Amino acid sequence: MPEPPPAPEPAFFDASIYPGETAQTAVTVSILTQTARDVIEGAFIPLWVRGEVSDFKSHRNGHWYFCLRDRTSQIRCVVWNRDQRGIAAPPDDGMQIAALGRLTVYPTRGEMQFAITRMEAEGDGLRRKALEITRARLEADGLLDPRRKRALPRHPRVIAVVTSPDGAALHDIIAVVRRRGATVRLVSVPAAVQGDTARMELCNALDRVNRWGRADLVIIGRGGGAREDLSAFNDERVARAVAACRVPIISAVGHEIDITICDLVADHRAPTPSAAAEIATRSRDELRGELKELAMRMGGATRAAVRARVSALRHVNRDLAAASEAQLTRRQSALQRVAGRLHALSALATLARGYSIARDADGATLSALSAFSDGMPFDLIVRDGVVPAQVRPSPERPA
Amino acid sequence: MTFEKRLARLEAIAAELEGDDVELARALALFEEGIENLRAASEELSKAEARVQRLVERADGTFDTVDARE
Repeated sequence: MPEPPPAPEPAFFDASIYPGETAQTAVTVSILTQTARDVIEGAFIPLWVRGEVSDFKSHRNGHWYFCLRDRTSQIRCVVWNRDQRGIAAPPDDGMQIAALGRLTVYPTRGEMQFAITRMEAEGDGLRRKALEITRARLEADGLLDPRRKRALPRHPRVIAVVTSPDGAALHDIIAVVRRRGATVRLVSVPAAVQGDTARMELCNALDRVNRWGRADLVIIGRGGGAREDLSAFNDERVARAVAACRVPIISAVGHEIDITICDLVADHRAPTPSAAAEIATRSRDELRGELKELAMRMGGATRAAVRARVSALRHVNRDLAAASEAQLTRRQSALQRVAGRLHALSALATLARGYSIARDADGATLSALSAFSDGMPFDLIVRDGVVPAQVRPSPERPA
Repeated sequence: MTFEKRLARLEAIAAELEGDDVELARALALFEEGIENLRAASEELSKAEARVQRLVERADGTFDTVDARE
């Protein structure tokens, strides 16, 4: 028995007539633009488009508007406020960019519009622009002033290491410190160094170091990474957290070519975490050398001090000897004077006994006949004075 | 005394000894103190080791450092 034919599907609309076919069935503009939007959005998956930026405007509602064009065509573009986080910086007019977006229709104007969520500029232009903007803002606040840079402590006891707890950076730092036999406490302060949470985690870790307050020195960094992996270290908030660190801080982002914003703000930049550990710590050999030098300085100075005292003593000795000799001479001459006087006194005693002394005009004693001549005047010294006298001419005396 | 403090003290001793008018008795006392510090510092140096720890923040905002496994 043949099956009965299936009942016909009920028709939803009359396919022989479609909206807009006749003046009587004309659609509204809204229907047209919305239909166009549905068709276009359904036809294109998100895709990358390259072109030159023109007429860029950052609207006060926070969205960016511009045109992307090539020699013959252009398309209106928008970057919604919420989609701007994934883009390093707003593009400049004339920049060659590649943009990932969705083609749609903006019904209000009946225009096609490319809604962009990611953007890359030729020659890394956007990233460089973002760096320049951040750099200029930090500079304006004086955070890049070389005079801000603090000297590293010579003998840090506690070094806080802000990095990933499982990364190569921490491992390398520990290895270097161990190899050098440095006497130091390394305290790891864990933070993701790449990915969406890295900025926040780095800021929080630095804040913890400050609140803890026991570190003498901080190393912040990561092992080598691709350029885009360094973005957290180029972030303005991270840079400000580095600048706000209460103790000297070394930035050690292991990327040979790029200098990050953190490097600029930190007190010291090391090319790698290992290099940071070398700079931060004194090796056992260095310290031994330092002790040896101190020992030599102390020994030398003490010897010099003792020597100086010995020679001072010698001088005193010599001075004492010289002084006593001079004294002796003085005493002797005094003695002689006294003796002379005693001598004179003894002559006076003779006079007192009735003798007298004859002296010539020069004071020489006239003690023999030959000293006298006829008529010669002389002094006769007696007990109580001087008698002026003269030799009387005498016939007995030879003339 | 920590190694760093000993080093700092040694620096101070050396500097004072190198000064102009240190009295002999003072110089000898400083020297003796310096030798004692040198001996202690060298001894510390030979047995010192780096310590690796991890900073942990407790719920009340205080901090703890725990030895890290490497």
